[in-house]
Amino acid sequence: MPFILLVFRNLIRQKIRTGLTVLGISIGIAAVVALGIITKSAKTSTAELLRVGGSDFAVGRQGSSDLTFSTLAASDLQKVENYPEVAHVSGVLLAFSKVGSNPYFAQVGIDPNDLAFFDLPIVEGRRLEPGARDEIMLGPEAAKQLKAQVGGQVEVRDQTLTVVGIYRTGTVYLDGGGVLPISTVWEYERKEGLYTLLYVKTRPGTDVAALTARIESEHPDLATLRGLNDVSDVDQGLQMMDALNLGISILAVFIGGIAVMNTMVMAVFERTREIGILRAVGWRTRRILQMIVGEAIMLCMIASVVGSVVAVLLTRFIVLLPTIRAFISPEYTPDVFVRGILVGVGVAVLGAIYPAYRAARFSPGEAIRYE
Amino acid sequence: MSEKPPAVEIVDLVKTFDQGQTRAVDGATLSVAQGEFVAITGPSGCGKSTLLHLIAALERPDSGRIVVLGEEITRRHDLSRYRARTVGLVFQLHNLLPNLTAVENVEVPMYETGLGMRERRRRALQLLELMGLADKARRRPPQLSGGERQRVAIARSLSNDPPILLADEPTGNLDSKAGRNVMEALEAIHHQHGLTIIMVTHDPGIAASADRIIKMLDGRIEEG
Repeated sequence: MPFILLVFRNLIRQKIRTGLTVLGISIGIAAVVALGIITKSAKTSTAELLRVGGSDFAVGRQGSSDLTFSTLAASDLQKVENYPEVAHVSGVLLAFSKVGSNPYFAQVGIDPNDLAFFDLPIVEGRRLEPGARDEIMLGPEAAKQLKAQVGGQVEVRDQTLTVVGIYRTGTVYLDGGGVLPISTVWEYERKEGLYTLLYVKTRPGTDVAALTARIESEHPDLATLRGLNDVSDVDQGLQMMDALNLGISILAVFIGGIAVMNTMVMAVFERTREIGILRAVGWRTRRILQMIVGEAIMLCMIASVVGSVVAVLLTRFIVLLPTIRAFISPEYTPDVFVRGILVGVGVAVLGAIYPAYRAARFSPGEAIRYE
Repeated sequence: MSEKPPAVEIVDLVKTFDQGQTRAVDGATLSVAQGEFVAITGPSGCGKSTLLHLIAALERPDSGRIVVLGEEITRRHDLSRYRARTVGLVFQLHNLLPNLTAVENVEVPMYETGLGMRERRRRALQLLELMGLADKARRRPPQLSGGERQRVAIARSLSNDPPILLADEPTGNLDSKAGRNVMEALEAIHHQHGLTIIMVTHDPGIAASADRIIKMLDGRIEEG
């Protein structure tokens, strides 16, 4: 019998106690993994937003608390446009409001003339007409939710807009929202002449990294965004989610650690005599430690698997809610599950230290006499 | 030609409990030759089990020396290897792990010897066969009779092929028939394998199976 099987057999001797401990730890791990999936998905959605329209990079206001709160003026657009390496700058105003059943319907205001420089694959209908004010293009998710078709009408912020086209970008924000003339969004948002982000296309052969570094150096109030690493300059929300995730992970390790310690201490005390016998037949202290720590690790690995499965089911369930679906599409990447496993290992090690220490200190003679 | 050293040599051994209030072993001196079958007898509380535990290195003496096969074990820091390789232990209660089968119980001491999984299993089955329990190898302790459990415990004590077997009241919890079977098993091992056996018993009938009987009283060796 392999040693690992012996460890497993010990674990299942007290099925109810082991089961309850696994349940408790798996709840903590499910919270860590689910939050990791949501954070990762939110980051992906944000990263997608930066690459929208086939731009080389985006520009936002340095220090904004949230990407969507970034506010730029026409003068900022001019500053970026003045760089000779820049081929075109599209200013975009983002707005969110309740449309249909979606409480956070994303509205992307853009000058229809800029659509010529903005890659927006049309699957049905056409683009916005230059000068038009009452037109809208919808993403496929939005069209489905609103049951809208090309030629139909939708209500956005008390404006009746005609659906002129359906596009598909593969990004959560855009596919779940709509693109409409920026003049219309300026009007109902009362943000005349303002932009949330600038999407920049450079001329062929441009060193984009050098250009963005120059823009930031010469205009410290602007933040250039090429990827997720830059997002923290204009979005504190994702950082907060990361911090929250770390906090929950640490809490899970401590609370889970105490649960494991309780289970393992009981197991060690109940098996005092048995541990004495194992010492009597020649087991070294190290092997006793391996057995106790092995039981704790196995307990936590089972909890990690259960917790991860629960987290996947949970995230699949919550994206059924339109509020959540508007922002994220769950991403199941290995790193979030590895984080869950690491939390499990942390719980196991923390929970096993004391019981293993106690078990290793038993004198074989005393342990055998123990009743 | 040099003479073989004694299997076990004990000199002025003292072991106290309760901060010195109870002198369980009080200056015991004893020598057991290799291949000898010795029974230690005496009334309850005379210190015979404590003496056996000291030889098994389950306890450390307060003073005195224990020399096993020429090596003084009282000076050793780590006694795990000694317990794994030099002595095999049989207790009054079988002390088998209840969640493991008979064959798995016999394998337990072998984890420390570095034997592979298949070799462990092969050897464990061989020992159970020696004990007449080949057909009960897959049974767990609660599915075995008292005598069978004790014979599994004997097989376990032989797992690592130790030269010395220490048995503490091996028939104490058994009826006479089962006790006789266990004694027959011990005698067979002694005769066939030339093992040194030191057995503690309070039963004169059981002690009579031994080559030599040592009597203990109040922690001291009285005769033998």
